[in-house]
Amino acid sequence: MFEKVLIANRGEIALRIIRACKELGIRTLAVYSEADVDSLHVQIADESICIGAAPSSESYLKIDRIMSAAEVGDVDAIHPGYGFLAENAHFAEVCESCKIKFIGPPVRAIQAMGDKNSARSFARKAGVPVTPGSDGIVETEKDAVRIAKKIGYPVMIKAAAGGGGRGMRTAHNEPSLIAGFHSAGHEAEKAFGNGEIYIEKLIVNPHHIEFQIMADRHGHVVHLGERDCSIQRRNQKVIEECPSPLMNAGLRKKMGNAAVKLAKSVGYENAGTIEFLVDADRHFYFIEMNTRIQVEHTITEEVYGCDLVKEQIRIAAGQPLSPHIAHPTPRLHAIQCRINAEDPAKDFQPSPGRIAFYYAPGGRGVRIDSHAYTGYIVPPYYDSMIAKIIAVGATRTSAIDRMRRALDEYYITGIKTTVPFHAAIMRSAEFRDGKYDTGFVERVMASDNFELRHAPGRRLHE
Amino acid sequence: MELKDIKAIIDLMLKNDLSVFEMEKDGFRLKLQKGAGDQPVVLPPATVSPSQTTAVSNGPPAAAPPPTETTALKDIVSPMVGTFFRAGSPDAPPFADVGKAVTEETVVCIIEAMKVMNEIKAETSGVIAEVVAENGKPVQFGQVLFRVR
Repeated sequence: MFEKVLIANRGEIALRIIRACKELGIRTLAVYSEADVDSLHVQIADESICIGAAPSSESYLKIDRIMSAAEVGDVDAIHPGYGFLAENAHFAEVCESCKIKFIGPPVRAIQAMGDKNSARSFARKAGVPVTPGSDGIVETEKDAVRIAKKIGYPVMIKAAAGGGGRGMRTAHNEPSLIAGFHSAGHEAEKAFGNGEIYIEKLIVNPHHIEFQIMADRHGHVVHLGERDCSIQRRNQKVIEECPSPLMNAGLRKKMGNAAVKLAKSVGYENAGTIEFLVDADRHFYFIEMNTRIQVEHTITEEVYGCDLVKEQIRIAAGQPLSPHIAHPTPRLHAIQCRINAEDPAKDFQPSPGRIAFYYAPGGRGVRIDSHAYTGYIVPPYYDSMIAKIIAVGATRTSAIDRMRRALDEYYITGIKTTVPFHAAIMRSAEFRDGKYDTGFVERVMASDNFELRHAPGRRLHE
Repeated sequence: MELKDIKAIIDLMLKNDLSVFEMEKDGFRLKLQKGAGDQPVVLPPATVSPSQTTAVSNGPPAAAPPPTETTALKDIVSPMVGTFFRAGSPDAPPFADVGKAVTEETVVCIIEAMKVMNEIKAETSGVIAEVVAENGKPVQFGQVLFRVR
């Protein structure tokens, strides 16, 4: 087992990794930017080294400084967290050449899955369904009709050289396809000097369902079920739940097997997530693989009774999959709400600054993963997530009721947060029915009975 | 009470290491306090900044040293993470001692990172007033290496 680990990240995930290390008896070295000197994870780590100025490009993305800190601190391994350098194959390579273990997959797996085209071709080879599309450029109207028929309507006509939503048309039937084929090509020719067209299946308001993969360094690969991440705002996940209300045992088995097959085919090791889109008819399509631990790993942990970050460290140290992960048994239902320093009343405008008063909810079945505290100054340089609140219940309904109760006790003053937004979602009938898709947030916020809900009990923090 | 009595009391205080003597008799009050001339030293509050937090530390960061100069000293801070060396080799003389005049281009030290010896320039001009970093010890980004007057 490692003696010392460097955490190449910040915020809540750095705290998460430090906690796992401490439980495993591993010494921790935090690297931080000048904006994070008062960050909780820096105070809790055994040692800390400042690696640069506030902007990520000047600190958390500086491979040379991180490696110097690793050398000065004499660490055995580096955990990259998520974001920053977590999926940077070059960083993983540098770690390898410095004989410091990168807690994550091998370099070649990061490379294979890092490029979307490469990932899709691995998926196809592994027999995993991908979003159906033309195999390259569609030359003629006749080809377009044939391909669209084969894929099945509706389809998306896209310019190969396109961008910014230009040279794109949707087509729900043959006449609109023919019209779209010509007009899209024309627009692309004018805008990009290249009228080449390809066609993809249009999945309307899909569900985003991802599978958690764990693989040890001895070839053993398993999946730990799915997470439904369909509740998104501007393509950012805001609420995740495990299991998915859309899932049944048969579909879980099919998708889970596909995920494991794909991970095996690229020689995967450590934690990873395979993302799928699922349409209304329960057809699933591979979109991409994230070769790192994810923000929402927490809900899988609660349902499957495991510690995925500790398992990452164990795997990296060469141990085989723990028995309870090799044979996962789901129980319970878990929901996570991401709390951001944003003002939901003002189009989610960022709200950095000093947290005047912070009280996090507790009680049975409530988990808080957060680096926030009273007096903490949320810096403006990084992503706005300040906390994750996870509610666990025996059933989906009890998890929702618990989340609703917990959000009403969550006091964060001095800055604006998305707590009131989540509190309103937990009360929305559509969410409670479990019949939502990626169009949900926009729809619900536009509806008449959507009202932001502020925590009662103001006397506590005045 | 006469002067010789007071002197006797003072002798007794010194002999017995007493700091305060107070007496009151018939409306006459006398208080003798040893070392009344010294004021307690008030240090400025220690500010925790990356330049003062040492790279490898288990305890709270060291307090700021009391300022002895009223003219502002300029700090030469580390632009990287590594090990600080005052000279190019163990036998060589240090690049910059207290009193040495420096210009922007003057090499003041070496910071070794990943087996590469990086020459660090003063990037300011003046005279070295203080050597803050310790030879052979790790330094972090922003850590004060020298102070220049």
